Parts: sequence; C-alpha cells; structure tokens
Amino acid sequence: MIKRLGTGLAVLWAAATSSYVALLLAPGDTIDILIGNGVDTPEIRAKIVAEWGLDRPEVVQYLSYLWRLLHGDFGRSYQLQRGVGEILATQVGPTLQLTLAAAATGVSLAVIIALATAGRGRWLRGTASAVELVSVSVPPFLIGIVLLSVFSFTFGWFPVSGASGPQALVLPALALGLPIAGVLGQVLRGGLERALEQPFAVTARARGLTERALVARHALRHALIPAVTLAGWFTGTLLGGTVITEALFGRPGLGQVAMQAVTGRDMPVVMAVVLLSAVVYVAISTLLDLAYRAIDPRIGG
Amino acid sequence: MKRILPVLVLTLAACGSQPSAQQAQAATLTWAIETQPITLNPQQWAQNKVRLLVFNQFDALLSRGRDGAFEPWLAKSWKVSDDGLTYTFELRDDVTFHDGTKFDAAAVKANLEQFLVPGYNAAVAAIQLAAFDKAEVVSPTTVKVTLKKPDGLFLDFLASPYSGQVSPKSLKSAKNLKFGGLDLVGTGPFILDRYVQGQEIHYHRNPAYKWAPPSAGHQGPAYLSELTYRFLPEAAVRVGALTSGQVQVIEGVPATEVNLIKKDHAFQTALNSGTSFSYYFNTSHAPFDDQRVRQAFREAVNVDAVLASVYQGTATRAWSVVGKASPFYDPSLEHTFGGDTAKANALLDEAGWTRRDSAGFRVKDGKRLTVRSVSSAPFVRDRRDILAQAIQAQVKQTAGIDFQVKIVDQGTAQQALDENQYEIFENSRGDSDVGAALNLILPSKGAINRTRFSDPRVDKWLAQASATADQALRKEIYTRVQRAVVTEKAIVFPIYVPADQLAAQKSVHGLGFDPGSGTPRNAYDVQAGT
Repeated sequence: MIKRLGTGLAVLWAAATSSYVALLLAPGDTIDILIGNGVDTPEIRAKIVAEWGLDRPEVVQYLSYLWRLLHGDFGRSYQLQRGVGEILATQVGPTLQLTLAAAATGVSLAVIIALATAGRGRWLRGTASAVELVSVSVPPFLIGIVLLSVFSFTFGWFPVSGASGPQALVLPALALGLPIAGVLGQVLRGGLERALEQPFAVTARARGLTERALVARHALRHALIPAVTLAGWFTGTLLGGTVITEALFGRPGLGQVAMQAVTGRDMPVVMAVVLLSAVVYVAISTLLDLAYRAIDPRIGG
Repeated sequence: MKRILPVLVLTLAACGSQPSAQQAQAATLTWAIETQPITLNPQQWAQNKVRLLVFNQFDALLSRGRDGAFEPWLAKSWKVSDDGLTYTFELRDDVTFHDGTKFDAAAVKANLEQFLVPGYNAAVAAIQLAAFDKAEVVSPTTVKVTLKKPDGLFLDFLASPYSGQVSPKSLKSAKNLKFGGLDLVGTGPFILDRYVQGQEIHYHRNPAYKWAPPSAGHQGPAYLSELTYRFLPEAAVRVGALTSGQVQVIEGVPATEVNLIKKDHAFQTALNSGTSFSYYFNTSHAPFDDQRVRQAFREAVNVDAVLASVYQGTATRAWSVVGKASPFYDPSLEHTFGGDTAKANALLDEAGWTRRDSAGFRVKDGKRLTVRSVSSAPFVRDRRDILAQAIQAQVKQTAGIDFQVKIVDQGTAQQALDENQYEIFENSRGDSDVGAALNLILPSKGAINRTRFSDPRVDKWLAQASATADQALRKEIYTRVQRAVVTEKAIVFPIYVPADQLAAQKSVHGLGFDPGSGTPRNAYDVQAGT
C-alpha cells in the first residue's frame, strides 16, 4: 500500500513537472498571454512582470510553484483573476455529475446490449455491432448536435442547457456515454462468447443451467476482465469528451474551463486541471487493481 | 424547475415587502449569448461582447443618446473649462447602490482613483487615464476632475463600461475585486444574484431604479423582474434554442441562419462602432514595403464577391479604416479601390514581380511573392478564417500572390508579431470613439502599430484630434488621417464593418443596440410580452 502511495505521488510530481515544462517551452511568453489582445507598451509590461513575479529565475518560479502546490495553493488564474482552487471547486461538481452519468449510461447500455446479443443469431449481432461501430466512429460533437436537434429542438423533451435538474443531464450524458457503450459493448460480447465456448460452460449446461443464468452468473465474470482493463481509456475519453460536450450543451464544468485556459494559455488553470486528471487516473487505477481481485480471485495479492 | 421554485418564492416575498415592485408586472426572460465574461468588474472590462451585461448591473456617469451625442446619466450636467483641463460634474442626488449606500461625489472620486492602484488595471491607467491628474469632492453632489493635458476622449471614457460606478464600500470589501461578482455592486436597473461559470448569469429587477438616461425607452424600474443569460458558444445550438422556444432572445446569429430565423422571428442588426475589420500591411519589409504591391493586393480582391459568398449578403463592405457607423467616417473613400485585376497585375509587373514559378505564383529575384497572416485562434470570429481562405484563393487566381493564412495559439501569434514574421495583420476594434482605436493602431509608437508605418503628419494629426473636444474639428482631422492611410499610402485594406445581430420571439419588445458601440443594449427597456 505504501509502495502504491509512493508511485501515485511520483506520477503526480511527474504530471506537475511535465506540464510546467511543456508550457514553458511553448512559443510566446507569459507576459504576452497576460497582455492578450490588449494594449501593449513597455510600461504596462513592466507593471505586469512585477505583479506576477515573472522577473525571478525560472528555477525559483518552478520551486515556488511546487511549494505552493504542496500547500494546496494552485495560484491565481491569469485570465479570470480568481484563485484557481476556487474556480475548480465550483466546476468539479457538474463535471463529476456528467461523467458519472455518462459512465453509468455507457456501462449499462453496453451490458444490456452484450447480454441480449451474445451468442444470438447473426442478424441481431450484426445490427448491434453496426450500431456500436457508428457510435464509436461518429465524432461526439456530431452525436451531440443530432441528439439536440431531435430531442430538444424538435420534440422539446429535454432542455438544451444548464446543469439544473436531471432532465438537463440526459442528452449530454447520452452524447458522452454512447461512444463508450460502443467500444465496451463489443469487448463484452466478445468476452462473453469466448467464455461460453469454455469447457465450464458445457459443464454448467449439462447440469441443466439455463442459457440466461449461465451468461449472467458465470460467463459475465470472465468477460469483465478485458472490459475492466479498458477503464483507463474510458476515463480519458470521458475527461476529454467533457470539453466538447460542456461547450455544446452550455454546461458548466472542468472541460470548458480547461478549453478556455488552454487557448488563453492560462498556465495555473491548465496545470491544475492536468494535476486533477492525474489524481483521477491514479485513484482509478488503484480501484481497478482492487476490482481485478474481486472479479477474479485467482489474481492474488 | 426545483431550483427555480425557491427563487420565485423569495421574489414573491420581496415583492410583498416592497410596494414599488408591485407596480411593474412580473416577467422573466432568457437570453442566450455567445461570450462568457472573463470578469464581472466593469473596471476590468475587456470584451465588447459583454457590454450588455455591464450596463444591467452598473450605470456610468454619462450616456450616449440615439444620435451618439453625450447625455446625462448619473451626472446631471457637466462643464468643461476653456482650457479643457477641468471638468465639473453635477451628480444626481437620488441614486443608491444595490448595497444601500448612497451614490455621491466621494464615490465618483473613489472609482476614478481605484484605477491608479498599482496592479489593478495597468492598461486603463496608462491609456484612457493617462491625462488624469486628480478628482476633488466639491460638495456631495459636485465633483471636479483635473487633467494634466486636454483629452478629447475623456467624456467617451466616462460613458464607457469602465465608468460603471461601483459602490466604494464593495470596492473595499469584495472578496475577488478583479473578478467582481455578487459582492461588487453598482446602481444599475438589475441586481446580479447568480453567476454559474460556463452556464448562466441571472439578475433580478432593482425596484428602486429611477435614474435611467433620458434617451432610454422609459423611466422607473425595468420591465423584466427576472433575467437570465445563458452561455451557448455554439451558434447552431443558440439558433435551435430560440426556434424551439427554450430561450426568447439570442445574439450572434450566423449569416447562414439569418434567412431561416427571419421567417418566424424578429431579427435586427447594427454596425459596430470603432474600426472596420481590415488587413494591415506590414510596411517594414518586402514585399509590402513597396506601395505598388500593397495597392496590387487590394486590387486583386473582389471584396463584394468574397463577402457575398462568405456572409451571404449580410456583411457591409468597408471603405475606410474607420467604421461606417462612426461620425468620423469619410464616405468620399467609397469605391476608390479594389477589384481591378488588370491594375493589380500591371502594378505587380511594374514592381518587378514579373516571372512566375511552376505553381503560378509571381517571383522576383528567385523569391516567391508570399505574404503571411498569423492570427491567434481565440480571437478568430465571424468566419474570418473562411474569409481569409476566400481571399487567398482570389489573390492566387487573379494576381499570382501566395497568401498564407495561419491560425495558431496566442503565444505563437505573439511571437510572430514580435519577431516581425508576418506581412498582414488582421484586426478590428470596437471602441465607441474610433479615435481611441486609431491612437493605438496608426501612430509611429502606437501600442498596436502592426504596420510598422511611420508618418509624422499622421502622428501630429492624431495628437491634435485627441486634444480637442470640438467634434467638427476632429472630423476634419480624422478625414485627413483616413485619406492619408487608405488612399495616399495604402497601408490598410478595409474589408467589412463588423456588426451584431439580435433575434427574438416576436412577443419580445424593446431590444436594441447601444448607440455608442453598436453592440446589443442592456435589458432595461426589454418587455417579454405575452
């Protein structure tokens, strides 16, 4: 456990440092960003340098950045003129809601479709497979626009924007969850079908177990291992997808904050978002390890 | 809905305790806007697109009437001394801030002096308030402002969002002064009560409001009791939200959707003030150090055809660096350049770009006639990327010019500008007084002089025009400036006049544009109707 914690911290440090270095190496300097499209004179530059402490050596700036991180101080946003911690605190909630809802949608759709179609006739499988392929290959932006035009603009079932109430969550969660359902569904069905050809399946059938019970109680567990391995990809897709989904649906959240920060090169915000994503990855990979053991007792500690 | 209910209940309760609010009917409106504010503090304001939000919550000292002339607002009257150095303002004595404190001369002084706090707003302190010396409280309703030198743009500053009067008490106590928010209050017709970044901003009516400027459509409290602005950056989504009735008003209607919207909705558009969207030629190195090449580039483009295809007839062609909506616009420049392919080729031949390479581009001394434009992605709007592609195709076809369009991140764009690695700079500015924009773009030492062009006459004229408040004289001087840079020296290629659009359900009344800036007006006169 201590070893895990150590690895986790190392990953966080690496994420913090590499994002810092990457932004440092990117073209243009911080003062240019702070000035933006605005008025640019030597005296304004001098004032900005003094205000943000940009005249210190880079190593000192880096170390003071790490030191402040250790104290939970993410600094101030260049663009938004507010504490980064405060910005993130207000934006984490909506993103968490969206990603959890999308993950739940994706996973349950995948499980339902896989259970319903595994080992069934060619037509059913073929149709499911085609739908999955479409949902994976169509860009999320387009899925979102189509969902909006049909269910919001034409039928008026769901509101287009806002994070208020569960109704407003339906379409964005679908837009974000469908590609996940597509990939996960295919992997799950493949796993189920392989499991159903195993000798234990024959034994179970011989003991008189119905096909449905066999799939749900025995085969699913085998099919889960490859699916769970995908969870890392899954987290990345969700976090990346929020950027598009949140802007499209006019939702608050980390995605649109990250987008604004990256285009405006708002370093403190970008780095805080990178760190937060790293934390999420570390947490999820730890949970996965535990999950493997629960699913397959043969993987011992 | 669940979250809205408590707000309604609260509002009803508030109405019960304040009889003045009962006179106006309860009405709510939802308005989808494209741009999120990066700050809610008017003194930090930097986005023309959010001007409409500023003046919901804040009032300025002066306003601009429908003809663009200054008129009283929180200042009842003003006097300027003959030497142009002393401004004396008589203030209204019946104005209170949303936090209950009284608006008076001390508040005006505190607001002006706030800009001088180091690190607060260096840009405004250095440009708009460069001439500001001191503000003195003469009596509770009289304030005297002294300038170091005459400044023809000072009244414009006092009518701008920067002059939105903030309660001095909240200037001291606001948790996030530079960002503003619920605890940074003004005197405006609406009171900010909720801001959700990335989603919406919500106001309720200020029931005590009775100090609208004379040109407003009515006096007394606003018609709307509740007002929500939703941030919908995607144009197609804004249009869908309007046509499906989820919002009542949208701004920023894409050219491709205008005809569809016009069928069932009220649509209006207005030209922005400030400068036209123009290509500025970098005159510091080849090929645009040669005036013939600059003129040839302008002649090689059929601007009308390009605008018609990119904006489907919704764009207004520009003929001067000064926008058509400005009182200083010189109409004599119309139809003086552009679209003459034969002339373009003759000019380029004359300038020595006679040979062609295998790709069909002109060549001189083994170098291709290449011009580059570098723009920063966050500031590319209005389909200007598509516009650049259309111009790119035209100049290649008609004159053999290799126009390279690069859209990059802000740092890379800034680097190209700093290192002089560009030939064309694309820009428009929305300043309500175009003089402010010209002062940044045209003088030899202008803060955003990207033409790197220097003409002592232009420098002198601009300084003269800035030092006087005599509008007739300023018009005469700016006419000279426009003729010098557009016709005589051809350092700028004006393309179109930026505009704003509003579309609304037909039941909504009282929408309009700010006469000073040409951007959508605040919601004070708006009625949701039934």
